[in-house]
Amino acid sequence: MDAVWDAVLQLFGEYGASQTNLILMKHSLKPNYAILRCSHKALDMVKASLASITQTNGKPLALRVLGVSGTLKALQRQKPEIQF
Amino acid sequence: MRKFVDLHLCASIDDIKQVERIVNLSAELGYRMVGIPLSPNVSQERIRQIEEICNRARVEFVTRVDLMPKTSNELLNSLGRLRRKFEIVSVACTSKNVARQAAKDRRVDLLSPCLTFPCKRFFDYAEAELASEKLGAFEIDMAHILSLTGFPRIRLLSSLRKEVAVARKFDIPITISSGASDENFVRSPQDYVALASLFDLPALCALQALSDYPLSIVERNKGKLSSCYVAPGVRVMEK
Repeated sequence: MDAVWDAVLQLFGEYGASQTNLILMKHSLKPNYAILRCSHKALDMVKASLASITQTNGKPLALRVLGVSGTLKALQRQKPEIQF
Repeated sequence: MRKFVDLHLCASIDDIKQVERIVNLSAELGYRMVGIPLSPNVSQERIRQIEEICNRARVEFVTRVDLMPKTSNELLNSLGRLRRKFEIVSVACTSKNVARQAAKDRRVDLLSPCLTFPCKRFFDYAEAELASEKLGAFEIDMAHILSLTGFPRIRLLSSLRKEVAVARKFDIPITISSGASDENFVRSPQDYVALASLFDLPALCALQALSDYPLSIVERNKGKLSSCYVAPGVRVMEK
């Protein structure tokens, strides 16, 4: 999550970061999935920030948005293969 | 459904394994056509190998050459030699003379600005006016946005914002490419649409820059390179 916050802060600054209301809802290491919650108004900002991440702690890292949904239930329907 | 195109996968063609990895990842992310820059004297055997890799990944392969001429004469010579060998010809605008010549030459498909050196950016109103009368598109490599941080990225985004505004004012097609030399810098089309908002390119224009414009360039050039082509608007229908 630090990498995500760093990317948001780098691209949009503290003012932009304050508009995202970014929260890590769920995550799983095997397989590597995470559910992030953010303000729908800041969705493009968050997607751009996630796409801009290339490394964390000196290790290469790439994050990809698999889906966007308004509710967790709809997200489970959209991506049934992801079990948390 | 849109057919997404990445015209600039900068994988080293000497490392076939890396080409395979990067092409497979592009296919997985939803691209249906990829352009890989080749050296002007590339062997047919190497092109066949890359084509096989792309066929296995169910991705169409587009041959591309990146020209980096120092003078406008050098550019004209290179275009004369290479235009009919490659489907896409891109020119890196490293000097003002080269940039102007590339903008007014119909044989140039993509105008690639020098993204890392701000003093070498020549895409202004004059160049846009020249390019608007011809067929060239303005290419943006997203790998630079991903690889730079801090002040250099701020400067890059600022320049891109101005150039994109100029290109849109003169109706010059904008194409977005990954410019990725390894898998770490390849992103999905949707990610590029989000990143394009950083330089004020609306989502619809970004989608066109990832699919419609590059696709039309490739189709136009494939038509020109086919044996039936005679001149613009003239084709051999039956022999």
